[in-house]
Amino acid sequence: MHRRSARLLLPAALLMSMISACAAPVAPGGSTTGNRSWTQISDQATGQTVDLWMYGGDQQGNAYVDDVLAPAAADLGVTLRRVPVADTSDAMTRILAERQAGEEDGAVDLVWVNGDNFATGKQADAWRCGWSSQLPNMTYVAPDDALVTHDFGTRVDGCEAPWHKAQFTLVYDSARIAEPPTTLSGVLQWSQDHPGRFTYPAPPDFTGSVFLRQALYSTSGGVDEIPARFDQATYDDLAPALWETLDDVAASLWRQGRTYPRDSVALDRLYADGQVDLTMTYGPARLTGLVEDGTFPPTTRVLPLEEGTIGNASFLAIPATAGDAEGAMVVANVALSPEQQAIKADPGTWGQFTVLDTDLMNASDRARFEDLPTSDIVPPYEVLSRNALPELGSSWVTELDEGWRRAVLGAGS
Amino acid sequence: MRWTRPATVTALLVLWLVIPLVPLVMWTGAARWSGTARVPQELGLDAWHDALDSGVLTALGLSVLLGAAVALIATPLGALAGRALGWRLLRRPTLPSLVLLGPVALAPFAVAMGLDIVILRLGIPGEVAVVLVLSVFALPYTTFTLRATYLSLDPALEEQARVLGATPARARRRTTLPAAANGLVTAAGLAFLVGWSDYAVTLLIGGGQIITAPILIGSAAAGSGNDALTATLAVLASLPPLAVLAVYTYVVARTTTKGYR
Repeated sequence: MHRRSARLLLPAALLMSMISACAAPVAPGGSTTGNRSWTQISDQATGQTVDLWMYGGDQQGNAYVDDVLAPAAADLGVTLRRVPVADTSDAMTRILAERQAGEEDGAVDLVWVNGDNFATGKQADAWRCGWSSQLPNMTYVAPDDALVTHDFGTRVDGCEAPWHKAQFTLVYDSARIAEPPTTLSGVLQWSQDHPGRFTYPAPPDFTGSVFLRQALYSTSGGVDEIPARFDQATYDDLAPALWETLDDVAASLWRQGRTYPRDSVALDRLYADGQVDLTMTYGPARLTGLVEDGTFPPTTRVLPLEEGTIGNASFLAIPATAGDAEGAMVVANVALSPEQQAIKADPGTWGQFTVLDTDLMNASDRARFEDLPTSDIVPPYEVLSRNALPELGSSWVTELDEGWRRAVLGAGS
Repeated sequence: MRWTRPATVTALLVLWLVIPLVPLVMWTGAARWSGTARVPQELGLDAWHDALDSGVLTALGLSVLLGAAVALIATPLGALAGRALGWRLLRRPTLPSLVLLGPVALAPFAVAMGLDIVILRLGIPGEVAVVLVLSVFALPYTTFTLRATYLSLDPALEEQARVLGATPARARRRTTLPAAANGLVTAAGLAFLVGWSDYAVTLLIGGGQIITAPILIGSAAAGSGNDALTATLAVLASLPPLAVLAVYTYVVARTTTKGYR
């Protein structure tokens, strides 16, 4: 849809907000909840209606929020209302406009967010900060978990509460590939040996973009060679090998690399139609459902990489302009409870990996996670996240996406 | 003068409309349809349940209200502008024409992004602002439809009514407006569709308070494995405009047989 235009317009909106910040009074950014106790906050939350803006393309996610999370919030006197958007940047556009207009009773109370959108909002001082550490259920989150303290290299600083973890995963049809490759360079070699059977979504699509980073880790000799913070000299040093590799592969991709799937949805469709033999996803837990409903063939399997794959977490953030911030905090806290996290982790409900550390729980809560059903298609998170690799800083993401457009896409056409 | 339409043209027109809809309608009844199969492997109404669960009925209701509100504002304004342009009542029509046509050339997303700040600053409620902004978007369509209508109408008709003793308002109401009925209905239909089909303005300026059918369809289409749901939402969303089209055809048929030209 207008995903691309949104990406272009977001920096423009930022610039506009910076310009007008000089001219007009703007609400104090990053406001905290001060010294209020949790009891005071939850008292104030009673009766509030929280508008949660989230990507609406995930039916299971929508159903979880409507049927499980919203009733749990209602028990605490908070009404949770889901606003479905085609892309999280739509929510960012609204938040930045509210911020610029000095709005204090904004229409966005809570956002499902991570990565670039979070970093953009933090740069624009558009998030309420210092609140997530106050949530009682944060006691179940390991304080040294890098996936939760940093969001694509940006420090979380209490500006968002963790919601669940994701793991970049390659997926293949075992009926078509008897002996799958075991490394990313192996995958690229396989695609050259089997012309037209592999492709990846065009960055800046979320999934295409992580494939690019995974390939960079592979061509650079590992994640330790790349500083998490973007650094031009390292980029100039490492990028040429990546572009060369992807250029070499391009001619043997689907449609000779003259065109790429627009997004991961388009790649999934090619895979479902049997036009390619592999697809890729950030949300492997959804595979069980996609196979069950016939979207993907029953022979669909996860392809583990020896070097590990990139993992990240997604979060719930409260804009500085939120009109119902206390209610939003209550929702974020409920969403973090062992009970909700366990229900959400069930592939029959949503199948999102928990951000909690089960070692920090009591026995009965831990049992909820141990009793979760297993899937024939998707191995448990412990297996998927073995050797998990960290995300690079969000500036890396934008530079690599842009570099790919010039070096690989430009060369192919 | 009557123009008879050959049967083949009609048949081609129907095919043109119907063929793209066939897979869409088939999807709405598919419980399982993997890419390689030519027809759904399993039939079922799951998608309809999902669609109802997603609140599509409320969304359709809000879409109808929004489309109707936009049509109610943009059609009379379009009639005023169309009359001025069609009857050449302005000495320099170029600039007003450009201003009225402007919104068509602009991307709604870009406009929504610039305007939402202004609207927030002014404190206009989101629902009101959405109707106003979409009415501006609809104005070019109503203006230029009615400009064409007025071009084909003779201003002398009103003058004759005046000569026969009617007041200016009465002359307009009893002679020109009935003659312009087709144009008015077409213009209103177009304006309705502008409000009906918008995504960006409704979401960004409305602040997510009005969840219309396009917002549901847009978000469902953004994910994998939602084909049946997206198709069902799309089919449901095509029904009200089809109803409007049917009413329009009926009105045209009626006014034409009555002899209005």
